[in-house]
Amino acid sequence: MTIDNTPVELVTLTIDDIEVQVPKGTLIIRAAEQLGVQVPRFCDHPLLDPVAACRACLVEIEGQAKPQPSCAMTVAEGMKVRTQVSSVMADEAQKGVMEFLLINHPLDCPVCDKGGECPLQNQAMTNGRGESRFDGEKREFEKPINVSDRERCVSCARCTRFADQVAGDPMIALLERGSQQQVGISDDQPFDSYFSGNTIQICPVGALTSAKYRFRSRPFDLVSVPTTCEHCASGCSLRTDIRRGNVMRRLAWDDPQVNEEWNCDKGRFAFPYVQEGRLNQPLVRGEDGLLHPASWTEAIDVAAKGLAAASGATAVLAGGRHTVEDAYAISKFARAVLGTDDVDFRSRPHSTEETQFLSSVVAGSGLGVTYADLEKAAHVVLVAFEPEDESPMIQLRLRKAVRRGRTKVTAITSHVTSGNKKLNATVIATAAGHEVSALSELALDANTIILVGERAASVTGLLTAATKKAKESGAKLAWVPRRAGDRGAVDAGLLPGLLPNGNSLTDSSAREKAADIWNVENNTLPFAAGRDFGAIVHAAVNGELKALLITSVDVEDTQHSASTLQAIENTPFVVSLEIRPSSITELANVVLPVAVVTEKSGTFIDWEGRPRNFGQAIREHNKLTDGRVLAMIADAMDVLLGQQDVAQLRAELAQFAAPTNRVDAPSHGADVPNGLTLSTWNQLIDDGALQEGEPFLAATSRNVIAGLNSKTAAAHSIAEGDLIEISTSLGSITVEAIFVDGAENTVWLPTNSGESKVRTNLGAAHGNIVTIKRGGGQ
Amino acid sequence: MSRVPQIVRGFWVTFSTMFKKPNTENYPEQKDKYPPKPRFHGRHQLNRHPDGLEKCIGCELCAWACPADAILVEGADNTEEERFSPGERYGRVYQINYLRCIFCGLCIEVCPTRALTMTNEFELADQTRESLIFEKQDLLGPLMPNMVAAPHSMVEGTSERDYYQGKISRATDAQIAEVAARAGINANGQV
Amino acid sequence: MVLTPILTAHWDEADSYKLEGYKRHHGYVALAKALKSDPDSIIQTVKDSGLRGRGGAGFPTGMKWGFVPQNDGKPHYLVVNADESEPGACKDIPLMLANPHALVEGVAISSYAIRANHAFIYIRGEVPHVIRRVTNAVKEAYAAGLLGQNIQGSGFNLEVVVHAGAGAYICGEETALLDSLEGHRGQPRLKPPFPAVAGLYASPTVINNAETIANIPYIIRNGADWLKQWGTEKSPGFKLFAVSGHVKRPGIYEAALGTTMRELLEHAGGMRDGHTLKFWIPGGSSVPMLTEAHLDLPLTYEDMAAAGTMLGTGTPMVFDETTSVVKAVSRWLQFYKHESCGKCTPCREGTYWISGLLKRLEKGEGQETDLEKIDELCQQIMGRSFCALGDAAATPFPGAMKHFRTEFEAGVRTAADIAFDPAATTIFSKANV
Repeated sequence: MTIDNTPVELVTLTIDDIEVQVPKGTLIIRAAEQLGVQVPRFCDHPLLDPVAACRACLVEIEGQAKPQPSCAMTVAEGMKVRTQVSSVMADEAQKGVMEFLLINHPLDCPVCDKGGECPLQNQAMTNGRGESRFDGEKREFEKPINVSDRERCVSCARCTRFADQVAGDPMIALLERGSQQQVGISDDQPFDSYFSGNTIQICPVGALTSAKYRFRSRPFDLVSVPTTCEHCASGCSLRTDIRRGNVMRRLAWDDPQVNEEWNCDKGRFAFPYVQEGRLNQPLVRGEDGLLHPASWTEAIDVAAKGLAAASGATAVLAGGRHTVEDAYAISKFARAVLGTDDVDFRSRPHSTEETQFLSSVVAGSGLGVTYADLEKAAHVVLVAFEPEDESPMIQLRLRKAVRRGRTKVTAITSHVTSGNKKLNATVIATAAGHEVSALSELALDANTIILVGERAASVTGLLTAATKKAKESGAKLAWVPRRAGDRGAVDAGLLPGLLPNGNSLTDSSAREKAADIWNVENNTLPFAAGRDFGAIVHAAVNGELKALLITSVDVEDTQHSASTLQAIENTPFVVSLEIRPSSITELANVVLPVAVVTEKSGTFIDWEGRPRNFGQAIREHNKLTDGRVLAMIADAMDVLLGQQDVAQLRAELAQFAAPTNRVDAPSHGADVPNGLTLSTWNQLIDDGALQEGEPFLAATSRNVIAGLNSKTAAAHSIAEGDLIEISTSLGSITVEAIFVDGAENTVWLPTNSGESKVRTNLGAAHGNIVTIKRGGGQ
Repeated sequence: MSRVPQIVRGFWVTFSTMFKKPNTENYPEQKDKYPPKPRFHGRHQLNRHPDGLEKCIGCELCAWACPADAILVEGADNTEEERFSPGERYGRVYQINYLRCIFCGLCIEVCPTRALTMTNEFELADQTRESLIFEKQDLLGPLMPNMVAAPHSMVEGTSERDYYQGKISRATDAQIAEVAARAGINANGQV
Repeated sequence: MVLTPILTAHWDEADSYKLEGYKRHHGYVALAKALKSDPDSIIQTVKDSGLRGRGGAGFPTGMKWGFVPQNDGKPHYLVVNADESEPGACKDIPLMLANPHALVEGVAISSYAIRANHAFIYIRGEVPHVIRRVTNAVKEAYAAGLLGQNIQGSGFNLEVVVHAGAGAYICGEETALLDSLEGHRGQPRLKPPFPAVAGLYASPTVINNAETIANIPYIIRNGADWLKQWGTEKSPGFKLFAVSGHVKRPGIYEAALGTTMRELLEHAGGMRDGHTLKFWIPGGSSVPMLTEAHLDLPLTYEDMAAAGTMLGTGTPMVFDETTSVVKAVSRWLQFYKHESCGKCTPCREGTYWISGLLKRLEKGEGQETDLEKIDELCQQIMGRSFCALGDAAATPFPGAMKHFRTEFEAGVRTAADIAFDPAATTIFSKANV
């Protein structure tokens, strides 16, 4: 982390006769906050540009005849401010504005979701008059959409300013004028945003409410727990509101270092999975070949026996959704109990180059590039990374930096995306698989940050090139994974050949230390680096494995879903630790239900390398963490690992010192594909397993299309709007073709949206060769 | 008097009382004889509009006001197919726990629609804890003449405003027919 | 007092609006003179002349130009505010109709002075005939090499765009006008930054009223001292006074600043026969009203301010005794309610509330407390709204109450239409015939 040492210029002023020193440029309203003086406000929001529209925050400034809006005026040396505390003028102005705000505000608080947590209610009580003198007719509006009550709106323009300034999706705008002014849908902008939920949260009245939370609860019913979002590696701090053991809603929590006060709609709304369709009981495959509910004792016993019997031919497929504690428990279980190094969390396409990159550059590197660094950087280069879809908080932070005019963004990607446009990015349109040369040609300096995404793994030589480029130019490099648990899994050593905290398995001193911490004989740990996810699947398909332990893997993520399923079928004994039934649990011999994020405490490591601790929100006696379940299995296999509760695992992981001998950095040459390639990444809102059961959210997902350059299309006699067939030897996908401003000889598909199930139907990764042809009708 | 033996004095009390009017109330045999005062805080009732729609809008203010945390409310959306109250919102779940209730009446004071009021009924003892948690169907007021039970649509051509302005006097024929049709469908076991 | 026909001198000529007609009377001589001199000297001349903005606020024009930072590497813009929508104001529109080239020449000189290569004339959208006239004048000027690239070989380039508004009073507010010009909803912007620093497209911008700009060619041609022969020290020059209302000859009278209303009334033929003056407003509905007692005050910025009102646009509205002051104020408030942009609370909600109260007062259905309430509400708006529109809306009522309290008090019970025959106040009323 970089510490900003530039001295802050201070300004001295008095507020209500109290002298206060604040940094130059501070708004009066914030300076007052520091004294504990709460000036009423509606339109003011610390993360939005001041607008001074609501006039609720008027204060008296000595020497000025009129009261001034404290939310828009910066402090000046020697300024004498009087708020409602010591000024009759300010107090009367505020009360007058409050009275005006209420004349057209309906008295429907009993049916309004905001009732009880409403800034208008609260401030009407603190800074308003007891009685209204209004006795006329209130303004009324028809109600066109269910979640917008326009008559409640106080025209603070927070929502429209958020959409315009922060998200860059100006899909809502103020329409009409005077008392008929209202928030409506912009007629010339697409009604499409990944961040619309934030407008509900910052609405100071109940004009915008959530379809999901509508009429469900009242704030006094709710128990609020600070949590961390499990949907991506952005690491958003959230507030989970629970009513009688059920999650009612999730809100963005204020964390200035990470998500500020925002989050994305996926993080906000995709939580039904924690309650609906869960696995509630262990299942064991009986003599009849069917899964039967079993007791924990029985299930653990069967799992332990099966795994013990397969000794020497077991492997672990871990998935990327684990907390670092659980990932560590899996890593330890594989090495210390199963004695195998065939362990990998990367269910998505990966490579040995990536293994090397993660082991040498990422593992155990701690806090690297931060959000604050992004804001300060002069230049940010996005390589094989689409922040809007893959890490939305990076998108928002970059947009903030770009709006301030200090940062420019360059994206090496297949085409200009909506996210790129909002960052005003220079797009170096590059056919998928050809990114290496594009990156090498860039002239970078030390004020640059390179962000590489997870799909860089499928482009041979790209991670090598990025590492080299960073080293040569002095630019900072950060790897931005897509899943919340990916970074933690790397730190926990869920990669072949990698022990926790970046230690190499083949480094004998590191292995000795590990054996010591794990309290096992050194020689029970594997000596040679094991197989990665793809190699494990390959071995299993060939019947080389006797047992598989699979935790939170979604076959839709794996390079080719059918092969993965085949691998599981061909393995005699499969133990699955899962939260909900899946195609894997259907094939497993033992299925053990585990806790979801709300039911456990733990830590996600976000892309920065920042630990994001969270506590248990809901107590469910029957839901154990992966770590606890594995400890029970180990116990049954006569290996005592201890309780393996979260605190214990965390303490144990901390014992792993930084490596003395790091794994070598990757050095792979570029391997440029020859032909038309597939560009693909997961859209933020898609058919992911954790987004199930939320129709309102699903409705905001983007259209499923194939994006391609018009010249490429012409070469294949494809017109815009045609259905086209994209195929590999393993299958095909037929979707509508849309022309994009991008590189030739490449076609973009969303990885897991609607008809476009790239892993299932094509078995292809980003940068692979595909063929396209016109197919179907219009 | 001191010369009279104690025992006689004792019996004299008994004897003289035989000619006095008894103070004992014969409850429950003669419970109508001394009805509670009109403003006595008894069991709650959830009232209906004159056409039978529920007045409760599920706002939870009663639950909020309750000092004993005896009330649980969950609101929900009225739909065109299933309407329980005028307007958008109704109380889907309404429970009062009479093991907790202290009959203070704060809940009925805060009720914005006069949906919740208190009756004079005070006989609220029972054998089990479960039976003393009253659900919405236990609390809903009886169907008076010209009312039909919700769910049904509002009187045609009216809005929630008309309900609150007291412009609704009874269930219309259309509403009665609608409820009957709904019941018929249910009786036949069809969806 | 004598009239000072300068801008209006040749309005009676058939081709006054054409380049030819304008050139006949020294048209574009000032431009040629200006292009040969240093831009700063032009700014200095305008400063020296003491010319004050004719749009209402009366800000010194030269000083405004001086605020524009020079050599900042940004493009500069000149925007002419011809969105004349103030109730009672009708001076820019006839000016542009009859003498558009004075404006066009003024635009060219002013742009040269502030180093702007792009100028916009923002004309109220409801007057298409005026937009046509000005557009044609600009075309003519382009054709004659008076606008465009390398004007008259001076190396100075200027593009002039005539922009039609879309019917919003608020777009007469300079920053709202800029928003509108940029293609956004017209709503005033937060100041600072002021337009002189970050205006149109976040670049330094000067916004002047059309009449102000039309004054420029005459000042440049005749020198700074020429303007000072009229008016007072603080309000030098002449002005288009558009007298309207219950006078015999309503119209535009160009006269020196400092002329009294009594003199203007004489020129306008006095009140219509058989009627007496009830009240008058010096410049648009946004300034407080005056009565007969104020007829001898000189019409200057400073004297009007001393009398508790403002010269405003300098377009006196005259009302005789047939007018219900309650009804007049009620109409104005309805106008402000309709035109409030909605951005700030006091104006948006205040005009809604007050216009409702006045409406019922007008119907004779008011309550005893209404007058006090309206007065308080006006105070609640005054000085607390985002821009001057709110202040303007809060102006008519207190001003009217000062002089006609009893009439408002009667209005609580008597409808305005009963107290005052609506027919009698019309131009076609029998009393007038």
